This record gives sequence, C-alpha cells and structure tokens, in this order.
Amino acid sequence: MSAPVAGTSKATHSDVAAKKKKGPGALATAYLVIYNVVMTAGWLVIAVGLVRAYLARGSYHGLYYSIEKPLKFFQTGAILEVMSRVFLTWAVTHSVREVQSEDSVLLFVTAWTVTEIIRYSFYTFSLLNHLPYLIKWARYTFFIVLYPMGVTGELLTIYAALPYVQKTGLYSVTLPNKYNFSFDYYTFLMLIMISYIPLFPQLYFHMIRQRKKVLGHAGDYSKVE
Amino acid sequence: MKLRSLEILDAKTKDKLCFLDKVEPNATIGEIKSMFHKSHPQWYPARQSIRLDPKGKSLKDEDVLQHLPVGTTATFYFRDLGAQISWVTVFLTEYTGPLVIYLMFYFRVPFIYAPKYDFTTSKHWVVHLACMCHSFHYVKRLLETLFVHRFSHGTMPLRNIFKNCTYYWGFAAWMAYYINHPLYTPPMYGEQQIRLALIIFLFCQIGNFSIHIALRNLRPPGSKTRKIPYPTKNPFTWIFLLVSCPNYTYELGSWLGFTLMTQCLPVAFFTLVGFIQMTVWAKGKHRSYLKEFRDYPPLRSPILPFIL
Repeated sequence: MSAPVAGTSKATHSDVAAKKKKGPGALATAYLVIYNVVMTAGWLVIAVGLVRAYLARGSYHGLYYSIEKPLKFFQTGAILEVMSRVFLTWAVTHSVREVQSEDSVLLFVTAWTVTEIIRYSFYTFSLLNHLPYLIKWARYTFFIVLYPMGVTGELLTIYAALPYVQKTGLYSVTLPNKYNFSFDYYTFLMLIMISYIPLFPQLYFHMIRQRKKVLGHAGDYSKVE
Repeated sequence: MKLRSLEILDAKTKDKLCFLDKVEPNATIGEIKSMFHKSHPQWYPARQSIRLDPKGKSLKDEDVLQHLPVGTTATFYFRDLGAQISWVTVFLTEYTGPLVIYLMFYFRVPFIYAPKYDFTTSKHWVVHLACMCHSFHYVKRLLETLFVHRFSHGTMPLRNIFKNCTYYWGFAAWMAYYINHPLYTPPMYGEQQIRLALIIFLFCQIGNFSIHIALRNLRPPGSKTRKIPYPTKNPFTWIFLLVSCPNYTYELGSWLGFTLMTQCLPVAFFTLVGFIQMTVWAKGKHRSYLKEFRDYPPLRSPILPFIL
C-alpha cells in the first residue's frame, strides 16, 4: 500500500531485500491460506453440529450444548491471538513493505506456524475423541517458548514499521475533511505496543495455569477429552 | 399461625451461614434479607441473592415464605452479588459526565486544541446548535432519572459504573473533540441538512420523553409491577402498536438526527454502538413480555417496526 521511499540507500539494499522479501512474504501468505481453510472447516463443523442438533430436537432449546465443546475448542484463548495475528499480518507486515525483510517477521511467523500445527492437530484429535498424550503435552508445553518468541517478533516488527508509518502517514486521516474524523496510525501502533504490557503476561500466566490443570494428572492417559 | 425456622447456606461452599427461627410464615424474602443482614452486616440486602437451589434463580424480595415450596424448616442458598450501587447514582454520574465534558470542548478549554484557539468559539452556527442539542439531551436524561423513571431494581454491581462512565464519557469526549474543532467542516448540504436533522432530533426527543411518561404511568409509585404498555392519547405513543421498546426507537432516531446535523463520523459510530446495545436490550425486554403475557400483541417487533 505504501510506496517504499526511493532513496539511494534503498537501491543498494534492493538485491538483498528482494531475496529476503520472498521468504517471509510467501510464508505469511501460505500461512494465511492454510489458516483460513482450517478455520472455515472448523466453523463448518460447528454449523453442521447446530443443524443436526436442531433437526434432532426440533427446537432451539439446548442447541448451545450440542456445539459447546468444539466451540470452546476453537475459541479458547483464540480471540486475542486471532486479532493480533490478522492485525500483524495485514495491517503491519503486508502494508509496510519495508518490514517484510526484517528477521522479526520470520521470528513470529515461525512461532505461529509451529503453534498452529500443534493446536489444530490437538483440535482434530480431540474432535475424533482420540487425543494422543504427546499432542496434549506439546500443546501445553511448547507455548512456553513459542509465546515469548512470537510476541518478541510481533513487537519488533511493529517497532520497525513505525518510522515508515510516520514518514508516509500510512492509514492516517487528517483534518479538515467532510466526515470530521481523524486517525493517526503511528499513535495507534504505539498504543498497540503498550497494550502488550498488560495483555501478554495475563495470557501467558493463564496458559501456565491451564497447563497445571490439564497436565497435572500426568498419570491418567485419557482418550476422551 | 405456626412460626417457621429457616437456615441460609452459602451456595458455593454449602456452609451454614445463618439460622433463623421464629420466622412468621407471611414474612417476605426482603424481610428475611434484612434479618440475614443483621447477623452478617457486610452483606446489605441489595447484595444478597437468595435462592431455593444453589444454581437456581434469585427469589424476589416480594416472595412470601409460606408460598414457597419449602417445609417447616426451609433451606435457602445465598450468593454474594458483590458491592452494589444504586441505579440513580449510576445514571446521574454517567449522564453528568457528557454534559460537562462536551461543554469543555465547546468552550475550547486549554490543552485540547492549539493554544491560539483557547476560549475561542466556532464560527459555524451549527456548532452552537449541536451544543444546545447535546446539552439538552443530557439535561433531559438527568431530569428523567430524578423525576420520571421508576426502577425495578434498586441497585446494580459497582463495576458497572466504571464500565458505563468509560463508555459515555469517552464517546462524549471523542465526538465533542471533532464537532468543536477549529478545523470542523459543516454539513455538506448546509442549512437544509441541518434543519431536517433538527426536526428529526426534536421529534424523537419528544417521542422518547412521551414513552418514558407512558411507562411511568403504568407503574404506581413505589411498585415494581409490570404491565403491557399500550398507545395513549399522545400520538407519540401510537408507535406502541408496532414496537415493544419505542423509547429505544426514538433514542436511535435522536442520534441519527444528531449525526446528520453534525456530519461527524465519531457521532455515527456512537449511534451505531448505541443501536446495537439497545437492540440487545429491546430483544430481551420483548422476550420477557412474550413470556409473561399470554395476550401480548403479536404485531409488535422489539425495536424497529417489522424489521428488528
């Protein structure tokens, strides 16, 4: 969306940048495609579950309970993660060309990719009522490293985007205009970064508590969730 | 008249919290709450939820002991609703904020806009009109809170006041910032647009007030009775034929009028968010009416005639 600043410094970087740009760019796109397909599938499962339950019962009563489990699977902890990822992918990485070659992008994309592979394996197996303990263990253990890794990558990427946003006024609207509205994307990004401070520890420690609860009974090997 | 005894247990831990004997059979839950409050002074009646079943619905203050399905020794369960605050207090606080805050922007108090604009006034007459409308709206709300509304519940959880004030005060500041900005752009279609907007706004303010009066008259002073509202002689209430919660319909109309008047996107956002919330409330109210009254008029929709 924003044109890279065509200065002399860019010209010397361009070869290296072009090579590096391909990596995370393609990976992020592939990730998005896979992500969307799977999420579609997931919500289809819930939709089908609802229809079947309605047909079986003949009323809307108690419908929630029939899809409660898969719904919770797909939503637990997912909302903030989803929002932050869509934001990072489209509103930052895609929009600010200059950051696409940053190592920080590779950092968070790797973290997300590994997390998601484990998470969706976990959901798939759970829905089939056949969850290998290894998958459950991985889901509740890998995050210990992947979460901070992902967050670091995300923050570094947003930080890298800041000077370009300020210079180009990306996504920003100034007064006067006929809708009497203004928006400063630069300030918005700063606020987003600040919001990580209260949010990330809360999420992280919530996962740690979940881990104790779920893996606490390390003795039981349960097939059914 | 055989006196009853009753015990109150904690709904979660099942601990025996209180045992009351020699209770009159015609005692109400409200009176029982007062008795419970004596032995546990930190739990004033407004924050007590008394039920027959730990996971069941709260009993009403008006419920009478002998009409409840309990034996000679009754067991009740208690849940703490948390610190409570009166509805009147919440309303007065959440409405005074926007009134004051908007005026601060209107008078361009220092540290909001560039210093050269401090204490100046806008050159656009629509900005003055908007200030009058906005202020009128909130003064009306404050007066209604003090003199018109009859609340079913005395209190709500304390945390609501922070949530509600953030919403009202935050949006008021956001809207007021743009409308009173030195770089404000008046509406595209000028006087025609502003005139139409003002008519809509005033019409809906009168409408909203009419509905509040009609609802108040359904309920004798100090009571919590619920009746089906019907159109009265006042034409503004004839909308009851089509809608369950016309107060919300008119409120939406007022804000649409204000949006048109100011042609300001933040006002449009505020209108949209308010509409969503009011729709949720209207649907809930509509459902309660349907559940409570067998003969509820079938033509009515919750908030928008035939639509929603």
